[in-house]
Amino acid sequence: MSVRARVITVPSAAQMATATAAASPAASPFKNDVDVLNYALTLEHLEATFYRDGLAKFATAAFTGLGFQASVRDYVAQIGSDEDAHVSTLTTVITQLGGTPVKEASYNFPYTDLASFLKLAMAIENLGVAGYTGAAQYLIDNKKLLTAALTIHGVEGRHAAYLNLLNSTSPFPDAFNPADTPAQVLKVAGPFIVGAGTPAAAA
Amino acid sequence: MQRAHEALLEAIFAERDRIMSRRGFLAGGGKLAAAGALAAAGLPTIERVAALAQGTPIPFTSDVEVLNYALTLEHLEYAFYRDGIGKFNFGTGPFKDNIGTYLMAIRDDEKAHVDGLTKAIQGLGGAPVAEAKYDFGYGTDEEKFLATAQALENTGVSAYDGAGQYISSQALLTVAGQIVAVEARHASYLNLLNGTLPFPAPFETPATEAEVLKIVAPFIAGTGTPTA
Repeated sequence: MSVRARVITVPSAAQMATATAAASPAASPFKNDVDVLNYALTLEHLEATFYRDGLAKFATAAFTGLGFQASVRDYVAQIGSDEDAHVSTLTTVITQLGGTPVKEASYNFPYTDLASFLKLAMAIENLGVAGYTGAAQYLIDNKKLLTAALTIHGVEGRHAAYLNLLNSTSPFPDAFNPADTPAQVLKVAGPFIVGAGTPAAAA
Repeated sequence: MQRAHEALLEAIFAERDRIMSRRGFLAGGGKLAAAGALAAAGLPTIERVAALAQGTPIPFTSDVEVLNYALTLEHLEYAFYRDGIGKFNFGTGPFKDNIGTYLMAIRDDEKAHVDGLTKAIQGLGGAPVAEAKYDFGYGTDEEKFLATAQALENTGVSAYDGAGQYISSQALLTVAGQIVAVEARHASYLNLLNGTLPFPAPFETPATEAEVLKIVAPFIAGTGTPTA
């Protein structure tokens, strides 16, 4: 088992001072709340499709072949089911807000076997957590939507921890989860997206 | 599945409305109760915990109060791991993981959260709450220690998810998000160690401050609640 050296990145005094400065809203890469939610939905579609396609390819024997208990496949299937629920909820909420939910796109996921699938799953989940962590602030003016986003964000954190463990990595590599900007996230996720389902923010 | 998530959203929104209508109650009527509640708002943590544990609603009136609420929980978690880990020999987990090593990592995370929140509160000119005295009631029972850890981590996620909406600064909200993501990772791992699904539901359940402090008050000495 390899355990990467842990980096405890405690926000510096300067960072915390900035955090506590009186709020003038950060320039948002999003036009409105619907755009923020569509950004989340873009990622959720990607994840949901990723798991659906992977689970169709890898039966229990593939998991036990890697030395995992059969239940690991069930847990991965549960992750996929969670992502389906996230897609469903975000789609419903966006529609209720009068917006147009982005649709599932076509994707190209570069894995060749179960081991590489699980490694990519780890990367995608951690990317999703960082994405929600970086975007939550743009929902600050809508308490309902912010809370709803947080209820999804936590579950992605749980997914990431589990997949890290499957990949013999610490479930919690940082004391403070990275907060990626939408541009950073879409830069990593973009290459996986080969069809429609335009991401909300490109800047 | 459709109805389940709609019900969940409704529950989330209903909870928020319930909290907001409590604020309305305090602003408008129930003057005696309001005076008591508002007075409790500025109380040192132990008294606030005791009041909330008894069901007195106390609204957050500043980011400092929200952060001190978080800091109350982080102090508790950090002390729990700091003082408990050394008592047990945890062995190996389901993925050849060294459980003790990961529990120490969790401990270090909570310490970092305590430090970060303390700095943030000081930066806002507030007084960070101090660590309290705790009785976690696990004795020499390793299973009970791990079950308590599981409860604390999952409660912590619900606490942050319920409180995030009361933060007024985007930067502080991001920091809170950075913390709660890690608490969720902790919860996932502790669930696994306790034989529970790491992700028991597709959505987290936000909890109010009153609900959370009612759960943890028994661990905190001096809140007038019986220890676990």
